[in-house]
Amino acid sequence: MSENQPTELRILAPREVKPKLDSLARDVQEAVGAPISRRQALSLGGLAVLGLSAAACGTASTGTTGGGASTAPSGSSAAGSLAGKPIENMLEIFNWSEYDDPSTYADFKKQSDIAAAGTQIHETYYASNDELIAKLNAGGAAYDIIVPSQNAVAQLIEENKLMKLDTSLIPNLSNIEPSFLKANFDPTGEYHVIKDFGVTGFYYNNKIVTEKIETMHDFFMALPKYVGKGRTNILDGAEEVVPLALMALGLDPNTDKDDELKQANDFLMSIRSGVTTISSDYIADASAGKIILGQGWNGDMRRVVAARKDQGDITAILPTGSSEIWADSWCIPTTAAHPVAAHHWINWLCTPAVAVKEMEYHNYPVPIQSALDQVPAELKNDPLFNVPTSLTDNYHYILNVSPAVVQKRTKIYTDFKAAS
Amino acid sequence: MTVDTAAPAPQATASGAGEHRSFKPRYPAWLALPSLAYQIIFFLGAMAILVAFSFATQTGFNQITYGFSLEQYKAVLDPTYLGIFVRTLAMAAGGTLLTVVIGYPVAYWMARYLGDKKLLALLLIIVPFWTSFLIRTYALKIILDSNGFVGQTLHLDIMYSAWAVGIGLVYNYLPLFILPVFSSLERMDWTLIEAANDLSAKPFSAFRQVTLPLTLPGFVTGALLVFIPMTGEYVVPAILGGGKFVFIGNVIGDAFNSAQNPPFGSALAISLMLALSIFVVIYILVATKEERFGS
Repeated sequence: MSENQPTELRILAPREVKPKLDSLARDVQEAVGAPISRRQALSLGGLAVLGLSAAACGTASTGTTGGGASTAPSGSSAAGSLAGKPIENMLEIFNWSEYDDPSTYADFKKQSDIAAAGTQIHETYYASNDELIAKLNAGGAAYDIIVPSQNAVAQLIEENKLMKLDTSLIPNLSNIEPSFLKANFDPTGEYHVIKDFGVTGFYYNNKIVTEKIETMHDFFMALPKYVGKGRTNILDGAEEVVPLALMALGLDPNTDKDDELKQANDFLMSIRSGVTTISSDYIADASAGKIILGQGWNGDMRRVVAARKDQGDITAILPTGSSEIWADSWCIPTTAAHPVAAHHWINWLCTPAVAVKEMEYHNYPVPIQSALDQVPAELKNDPLFNVPTSLTDNYHYILNVSPAVVQKRTKIYTDFKAAS
Repeated sequence: MTVDTAAPAPQATASGAGEHRSFKPRYPAWLALPSLAYQIIFFLGAMAILVAFSFATQTGFNQITYGFSLEQYKAVLDPTYLGIFVRTLAMAAGGTLLTVVIGYPVAYWMARYLGDKKLLALLLIIVPFWTSFLIRTYALKIILDSNGFVGQTLHLDIMYSAWAVGIGLVYNYLPLFILPVFSSLERMDWTLIEAANDLSAKPFSAFRQVTLPLTLPGFVTGALLVFIPMTGEYVVPAILGGGKFVFIGNVIGDAFNSAQNPPFGSALAISLMLALSIFVVIYILVATKEERFGS
């Protein structure tokens, strides 16, 4: 002990308590408003924590090393031990920003059991799955709830970073459409609960493109035909360009077969001259009528169609046949310090009434039929929002299958972009 | 003016009082330690990590095993990436050329014609730098758009073309060229031009034989200051090129972010640095030659 500052309180506590101290430290920092040193924050947090029961910290894993080498306590044992444990007084959420209705948080805390436990919610935000994974790899902060997209779910399962969910704590799971419970990114469905989903389609200017284009293959073939009449655009990223081309060809988007990837490469090169821009930042330009033919996500395309309502010149299509479906899911990292509260949170979001409010807020479908029946007609009757399962049954999640596959996709994508 | 070639540095201070001339540094050398430490930790340290990454092997997404593998460098030699290297260097060279053509006359005009309004002009050149690079590039998008000024007034549809990328590059880096050239021109002794005229040199040959050589150090410094960041450019091709003009910077970004393959991204980055070192070597050669020639 080199320093002697009377304002400090040093605490010898189990390692598992550290995330709790950290999150308290963050709260204190926020409350104080001015940045205080981490050391000060820890001692303040420690004071608060001393008054609490230490019972709830038995489930944290040792997995701070982050590598795949340690066979950290497997999820099942962690989940099994949750039954009967009390709800923790804290819930640390790491989420995309503005992704949940403010009332969802307030009403969650008003539930009698949560209110009795005094659970407080602290939420921080990330802007991409890369950022989420980087934060988890860095290992500094412990989150109780994260919202990864399908790719990240698969990767985190692979790396033993997700807790097996204890379904006895999520009775409302029965509200979720069965076809959304198990997906190729989590084949057993034990690690995620779907939050909401979306699909990829395309839109075109119906004054210029007068023929019927219905499949992703039609879309690609129309590009060279209409590029002379205006700007065309496809979604950016190796994980979009290559798998969408594979699906247009009726192939598995997650293939690792060289000959199939070669087919996608040749197909893409054959329509290269038809692509004016490669950008996922298209809403503004499409809404201004600058794009005559482009790929888009259903939620975005709803906005574009709404923006062009007066002109009525944009038609959005959800393709028949194969296309992309994506999903964001609720997951609990193995390092979660408050797993019981996290399970309660997920269960709360599976409540139909909550799902209705959520959908009205973020405009992405939550696959709970009784909730979809209750949303306003403008959502319920719009296939761009309420995507029919007859379509999604043919759609595929695009996954980062392996580093080798991603490398091959990236190579094709780079060649495609450079060939202009 | 007589020049002591052996000791150029303290000359300026010594010319005043003419007391004893000490060439010994006045301050203890350890005062440089903080900035040296900063350089070592944040510059050399980051470089060392890049080098270590580039020789490592990818074992999973964002997972690597350190070692000495040349695999990533072999991958860099693929025609795809070599082609992008060449294109990046060509675009940067073109952008630098445009910057020189546009920037030199501006610097000349400022230094020669503006008199006491020089500082105001200098300020105007620097002011755009107070705005974020990204915002300036997005602002440019509005001007270049087919519904914007260039599209409507000049009837040019150059958005998402090589021209748009070129304009973006020149606009963003122009001040970095103008400033060093301006300072060379400012320090120039214009009586030398009078002398050249008296010796019956035509204006252009006076410029070529006197002004240009004397401002060459500023010229070369400016050109390099512009060329090097242009080769690493990432934002301009993404925003103004509509994803069509991949620079090596974009490929490096993809390797780190979407492919989660730090070894490959690092190998690309190191290769770019090696390629650029060639230009720095040329600069050093030119600069020393200039020093010999200069006075």
